[in-house]
Amino acid sequence: MIEQLQRLPGVGPKTAQRLALHILKRSESEVQALAQAILEAKQQVGLCSVCFHLSAEPVCEICRSPNRDSHTICVVADSRDVIALEKTREYRGKYHVLGGLISPMDGIGPDQLNIGQLVRRVSKQDTKEVILAISPSVEGETTTLYIGQLVKPFTKVTRIAFGLPMGGDLEYADEVTLARALEGRRELD
Amino acid sequence: MYLKTLHLRQFRNYREQQIAFSAPKTILLGDNAQGKSNLLEAVELLATLRSHRALRDRELVLEGEPIGQITATLERETGTVDLAVLLRSNGRRTVSLNGETLRRQLDFLGVMNAVQFSSLDLDLVRGGPGERRSWLDTLLIQLEPVYAYILQQYNTVLRQRNALLKQRRRSEEVGETPPDLEQLAIWDAQLAAIGSRVIRRRARVLDRLAPLAQTWHQAISSSTEQLEICYAPNVQLEQDDPSVVQQTFLDKLAQRSIAEQHQGTTLVGPHRDEVEFTINQTPARQYGSQGQQRTLVLALKLAELKLIESVVGEPPLLLLDDVLAELDLNRQNKLLETIQDRFQTLITTTHLGSFDAQWLKSSQILTVRSGHIEE
Repeated sequence: MIEQLQRLPGVGPKTAQRLALHILKRSESEVQALAQAILEAKQQVGLCSVCFHLSAEPVCEICRSPNRDSHTICVVADSRDVIALEKTREYRGKYHVLGGLISPMDGIGPDQLNIGQLVRRVSKQDTKEVILAISPSVEGETTTLYIGQLVKPFTKVTRIAFGLPMGGDLEYADEVTLARALEGRRELD
Repeated sequence: MYLKTLHLRQFRNYREQQIAFSAPKTILLGDNAQGKSNLLEAVELLATLRSHRALRDRELVLEGEPIGQITATLERETGTVDLAVLLRSNGRRTVSLNGETLRRQLDFLGVMNAVQFSSLDLDLVRGGPGERRSWLDTLLIQLEPVYAYILQQYNTVLRQRNALLKQRRRSEEVGETPPDLEQLAIWDAQLAAIGSRVIRRRARVLDRLAPLAQTWHQAISSSTEQLEICYAPNVQLEQDDPSVVQQTFLDKLAQRSIAEQHQGTTLVGPHRDEVEFTINQTPARQYGSQGQQRTLVLALKLAELKLIESVVGEPPLLLLDDVLAELDLNRQNKLLETIQDRFQTLITTTHLGSFDAQWLKSSQILTVRSGHIEE
């Protein structure tokens, strides 16, 4: 069991041991419930057929919601990013999850990602804006530029700004972040 | 800047060693393979987070131990700083300043500066272009720490682009449709954008270093020789304008695209740069005598000291690894004249015979014996 637990992300040998001992101390019904929950989640949760976010239904809750603006699509690399953006409760549009970033070293090209589906979605629906919310790594930059080119003929394309964290002091920001923030400056409104 | 204390724990062949530096010059005396160079390597790591001897952190940690640690107290004009590097034989390093762990290693660079001069440095002249690029990069990282980030980004783009070129070649060989050209064009654009930042920064630092090195070279060779340092970038740098350099870069990529496709690797960019040294119009690499080559390397190192001092505003440390004995008296004297007491210097040697008596008097002498240091 320790070996199995250690395969989970963020779990080292010590944590794995602690988790295993904890599970052994619980009552059988509790352990049953945990195992059941894991298995059920695995069996039921799949990907939304529209946006590829994790979903127990064929089409996820966000895609089905009539209260959300279906003219705006926010493109992210991973379902984790959807969860992070949802926590802000600032965004009222829909999402599109790519399932990774372009990385030839790992054998991931545009065909391995949900990029074709995005282009089809944008070209068919009436989309007013595509927001690219992808991290500014080398791979993220390539993916952003690649999608930008494909989607631009159909709609307005924007990307999120990168820069200073809130509550951060300008003098403590590093050169890289400052340069980025300066690049993405905008007019005061 | 002045290194006051150094503490090595499970680093190389040191299990636990505390060293207090009490004079501007410290001579580390000991037979071969006792740990003299390991100590200098620890200081080099604190300054650059790079080692010119180790490829992996595993080599730096005492054999059989999971972690090793270097801690130091450095006195700068602005105050005292505690530096620490935690090395793991299996995993990433952790760096901290004044007891606070830094999220990014970039912020650790530039706190301490050092110029390393070892007998291996003759490879700077005799070795391949890779040696010279690596020397230039290490210097740049100390002068402009953000360069470490740029270089790392460049290397990532390069590896990704090479992987894509290989994929294209492979699929062509088996008759499949290769990955699309649009993707390659984006990697090209990124390579050119980040690559031109590397080129411009390299050109800038050589512009400042060359006159210093020239002056030193003349002084050491008693004005008989004229040194020229010429940056020979793979992508020509005609104008120091980012958009011009990027365009030249892209043009050259387009020119070489068939060759790149054929070889499945990136042939254009600063990873193919060269730095040329010529003495009296003769390439030092091919024609320079041993003595000329030594003079050249010494001039470069002295120029580095001066350049770092003028940029950082404080004299950096000088690490002389087994190199003093190799220099003749004239060159030794030039070096010692420059150092005086301004640059804190750590010197390794197997015997004290070649040192000036005056010198020995003002130096702290430490004996190194199989991972232990005694006063």
